Amino acid sequence: MATAAIEHHDAPHHHTSTGLDNTKIAVWAFIGSECLFFMSLISTYLIYKGRSLVGPLPHEPWTDPATGQTFKAILNIPVTSASTFVLLMSSLFMVLAHSAVVRSDRKYSKIWLAMTALAGTTFLGFQAFEFTEFVHAGLTLDRNLFGSTFFTLTGFHGAHVTVGVIWLITLLFIDIKRGLGPRDAVNVDICALYWHFVDVVWIAIFTLVYLIQ
Amino acid sequence: MATTVAAPPYATAYETKRGGLWDWLTTVDHKKIGQLYLYTAIFWFFVGGLEAGLIRWQLRQPNAGFISADLYNQLFTMHGTTMIFLAIMPLSAAFFNYLIPLQIGARDVAFPRLNAFSYWVFLAGGLFMNFSWLVGAAPDGGWFGYVPLTTRAYLPGPNIDYWLLGLQILGISSLAAAFNFATTIINMRAPGMHFMRMPIFTWASFITQFLLILAFPIITVALTFLQFDRFFGTNFYTADAGADPLLWQHLFWLFGHPEVYILILPAFGLVSEVLPTFSRKPLFGYPVMVYSIILIAFLGFGVWAHHMFAVGMGPIADSVFGVTTMLIAIPTGVKIFNWLGTLWGGSLRFTTAMLFAVGLVGLFTIGGISGIMHSSPPADLQQTDSYFIVSHFHYVLFGGSMMGIFAGVYYYFPKITGRLMSESLGKWHFWLTFVGMNLTFFPMHYAGLTGMARRTFTYDANQGWDVENMTATIGYFVLAVAMTIFLVNLLRSRSKGQRVGNDPWGAPTIEWTLPSPVPEYNFETLPTVTSRYPLWDRQHSGHAEVPGAPETESHTEHEDIVDVAEEHRGLPGEPPLPTAAELGIHLPSPTIKPLLAALALTLPFIGLMMNKNLILMIGGGAAFVLVMYSWLLTPIEPEHHPPAPVGGGDKPMADSPFWTAR
Amino acid sequence: MPPHPARRSAALAALTAGASVFLAACSKDVPNSTLTPHTDLGRDIDALFDILLWGGVIVFTLVAVGLLYVVFRFRHRPGDPEPKQIHGSTVLEITWTLIPALVLAFIAVPTVRTIFATQQPPPADALQVEVIGHQWWWEFRYPQSNVVTANELFLPTNRTVHFTLRTADVIHSFWIPQLGSKRDLITNRTNHIVLTTDSTPTMAWNGFCAEYCGSSHANMRFRVFTVPPDAFDEWLAHQAAGPVFSAPGMPAPVDTTMTTPPEVTQDPALPRAFALVDTFARLPHIRPSTPLPDMPFAATAGDATRGAELYRASPCIACHTVQGVSPGIIGPSLTHVGSRTTIGAGLYPNDFEHLSRWIKNAMALKAMNYPQGQGMPPMGAGLPNAMAQYDDQQIADLTAYLLSLK
Repeated sequence: MATAAIEHHDAPHHHTSTGLDNTKIAVWAFIGSECLFFMSLISTYLIYKGRSLVGPLPHEPWTDPATGQTFKAILNIPVTSASTFVLLMSSLFMVLAHSAVVRSDRKYSKIWLAMTALAGTTFLGFQAFEFTEFVHAGLTLDRNLFGSTFFTLTGFHGAHVTVGVIWLITLLFIDIKRGLGPRDAVNVDICALYWHFVDVVWIAIFTLVYLIQ
Repeated sequence: MATTVAAPPYATAYETKRGGLWDWLTTVDHKKIGQLYLYTAIFWFFVGGLEAGLIRWQLRQPNAGFISADLYNQLFTMHGTTMIFLAIMPLSAAFFNYLIPLQIGARDVAFPRLNAFSYWVFLAGGLFMNFSWLVGAAPDGGWFGYVPLTTRAYLPGPNIDYWLLGLQILGISSLAAAFNFATTIINMRAPGMHFMRMPIFTWASFITQFLLILAFPIITVALTFLQFDRFFGTNFYTADAGADPLLWQHLFWLFGHPEVYILILPAFGLVSEVLPTFSRKPLFGYPVMVYSIILIAFLGFGVWAHHMFAVGMGPIADSVFGVTTMLIAIPTGVKIFNWLGTLWGGSLRFTTAMLFAVGLVGLFTIGGISGIMHSSPPADLQQTDSYFIVSHFHYVLFGGSMMGIFAGVYYYFPKITGRLMSESLGKWHFWLTFVGMNLTFFPMHYAGLTGMARRTFTYDANQGWDVENMTATIGYFVLAVAMTIFLVNLLRSRSKGQRVGNDPWGAPTIEWTLPSPVPEYNFETLPTVTSRYPLWDRQHSGHAEVPGAPETESHTEHEDIVDVAEEHRGLPGEPPLPTAAELGIHLPSPTIKPLLAALALTLPFIGLMMNKNLILMIGGGAAFVLVMYSWLLTPIEPEHHPPAPVGGGDKPMADSPFWTAR
Repeated sequence: MPPHPARRSAALAALTAGASVFLAACSKDVPNSTLTPHTDLGRDIDALFDILLWGGVIVFTLVAVGLLYVVFRFRHRPGDPEPKQIHGSTVLEITWTLIPALVLAFIAVPTVRTIFATQQPPPADALQVEVIGHQWWWEFRYPQSNVVTANELFLPTNRTVHFTLRTADVIHSFWIPQLGSKRDLITNRTNHIVLTTDSTPTMAWNGFCAEYCGSSHANMRFRVFTVPPDAFDEWLAHQAAGPVFSAPGMPAPVDTTMTTPPEVTQDPALPRAFALVDTFARLPHIRPSTPLPDMPFAATAGDATRGAELYRASPCIACHTVQGVSPGIIGPSLTHVGSRTTIGAGLYPNDFEHLSRWIKNAMALKAMNYPQGQGMPPMGAGLPNAMAQYDDQQIADLTAYLLSLK
């Protein structure tokens, strides 16, 4: 082409403008989108807070004026604090797993990936326990505004943790099958990004839903 | 005009590799996917237009008994939903697909398979929603589906379920596409293609992707609440449980107002490509145009409640949202003036594309001004939910978005097909559209100001609305003729249009260096971009780095508007284009998996409609997970060894033999 | 290339069409125009609208003239040199950023002033009117006088009125174009409009539901009558009492559900407002012209006394109030139904022909796609989903009775 304005050269096949991998940028965009998703859910919870016409309520007991039945305050902060701690620790494990993959440390990459997945699963176990307890205490999805907003918000968060656990187990499986090395760093990195994000969302939920009365 | 020039007496030597059905089902080529979007969206555009026709025929006179109230309510709901989500958005997506990689100098989008997935999910969502017509239960809650009307208590039929689940499916498509295009623009620009050198359409698209990324999760949440209410008994919008219906309105319009810019910004981008080319002048104030797009998008998130003045938010909220809405007029006004500045002193060639682009500048101005009238809350209280606002948003969406999209179709058709659309039919199309659109929508201003409420299937005689409505109905038929001409022109020109070379319009941006139609690998070698208008640098002596490029003389009327392309790559007498294999370019392998994934994704929604059929819901979900595993664990391209990097700083990315998350 | 003559004529045709519509809209009778307001609220808004309109017209004219000038002046002609490559002008761009900002300031200041002026709390002596939206009719209550009526709103001239807006079901929007702005009636919320009617005219206006609310959104209309204050007071007093019903031989109504004995006005003299309303009812924009669907109907007149007997044993009483006779509150109050000009929320004139068909099969006269089928069910014998099996003569008797409830 007879022009100086447009030059052609044999660019390497996977040239990127920022030097970052495409997947990493896409996951950042995805996380941006997820922020709005959880902001909408959390806002709805806060808007409807204190507007339930019937109990059970999150922080205070409620007596049904018709039947005289008393429902205890629903949220069990010590138990959820424990599960929050487990989830926070999982972020630490995730960092260690990523670092091990970058180092090609096959032994520790597997250990930390497994630990992260285990911590995530433990958190889900806590959530399953919590949901069961709440249903027994009379709080269901269709009971009141609190039930609808609480289960939907924490349920969506739990679904995100579940996807993260499946992702981690997949990585672990690949690690066992053929080993993850530095060239896989980006794939572990995006999983870590997602995992940390899910953790941060939980910190917001724990603070706004559980701690603030 | 164009048709006076005889078609070239030779057969074309190069055609896009046109495979059969399987080729289209498995393609991951952004250009083919772009065309799939284009033709599918045009199909839905005609469906939506037909719905509009039934509406206009019912309203041609007072107390007409042509269709029932319930059918009418379904028609206006589906007309709005179809035009927004199934016509204008995917028409924009067609251009995102086709143009972004070409404009930034890339081989494809960042995630070609995800791109195919987006299209198939869009198609599934459109079919899902419109399937409701076949069972006689089309959505009837209005396109913004206000609760509590759309809750199970008031509309218990499956109508609203089709609507909300259809929108959920379409939302997945839009979000997947938005992540893809945002990544593509951020990360796949050719060397030298700095942000401030990007073609303005790519800029408009770029900002639109951010609007999609940030706005769609909000509607997803709002729809999820409605879905849970309708299917699982939650209370988000249940009045008896103390719910506040304004929750829906706030969430909906937090999405809905950015959505307006999602619909209009790509059209602005297209027009900003067309005007400079046919003025033979650069876009006036490129940086300001970019900043104004960003500002419009940014402010667009802070004005949602101007759709809600009539709900009574109190004087302070009214004032804040009114004034911030007015602020948007400033960057929008700047765009209009900069377009005029682009035309000023130019050498304007009125091709059909140019007519539509100039049409947008004029008609969108009307829509913008009536928008300002709505931004003043007290005035809005008389205008809102009347025909005045119907008029307003049709000037924005038809006079704006559709005019811009038509400009884009005429402008880029030769790049897509290697052939021109007929200019004489195009001019008929433009003038009939221009006249028909004003006949249809301008009288609605008066109908609204004289008290006609929107979404009414009938109106009484002697209310002073007869002339306006009859005029609007006549206008509709003028538009119908115009659109028929467009369709004929579009389909006919695919095989009958005049063959053209790389750059029929004398355009400045790098997509016009490519052969028309573009080979599957786009660029033989990725270009290095050194300016905003590389193709003009060699023509305009003031800027040319290679002086002495010949001025093109015009000889025939046709050439008056269409430059003889300097390069006839692929035309007879030229060597045929090399194939990707000959060039050693590795292209993504075609795959059916995106289509399968889209199908699997739709199954749970179908299951939900079929009385919460667990087999479909769980089976579909499991099938989706399986397809995704199969997809993600298959490399995007056949095994190969990347060529050694040339030039400093270019870092080859790892090729993962086991999986690539693309 | 010279301007194409066809283009000019097409543009001219478009302009002419636009202008003729404009003239038509200005010259003909526009009974629901927002541009001829008859309240302080309406005028405040109209004044603001004028600023917006003329500002908009000026801006559009400038842009359009600029665009047309550019389009004709800079058209490509053969042999033209390449145009000068201008990339922008900071001065110009700053200018046309500032000009719209300035124009907007001219709009924003009166806007904010009007917002606060029109949302003042009502004075204590304002006439209270409660508006309750139903799918698809309007309930109007005058709590200061204990009056409940439907679909026809009486307002005194020259009086501040405080509307309290609520809904019984979905969201509706209360809109009387000539009397001022619209406001939504929102589930679980209460909204307000405060306006002062003009001292004249004594007139009938149309009101509409402006927020889509389901099947018969278009059929959710109402009438508003502004009458002189003394006529209004008479009307109010009359409405507060039981219906005037003076059919011969009519026994005093017996009501087992009510604790207080019903007060039956025996004086057949009707308030002055009724005479005004009779005049209003003949106005073209007030008298509905909805075509009546074909429906065989064998009777031509009914007996009000027989109708009264029938009514007290009919299913009607479950949903409708007739003061002293029936307590139902699901449907519109029928206490003074005979004094209204329209039925079906402004859909049909209130006369024997229309009311009888309405009672026989209301579903055929108005789209009422209620989810639980709680719309006005057919009463005619043999009709699907009929709630009663009345023959046409019985329906005629019921009609005569209801029409007599002035």
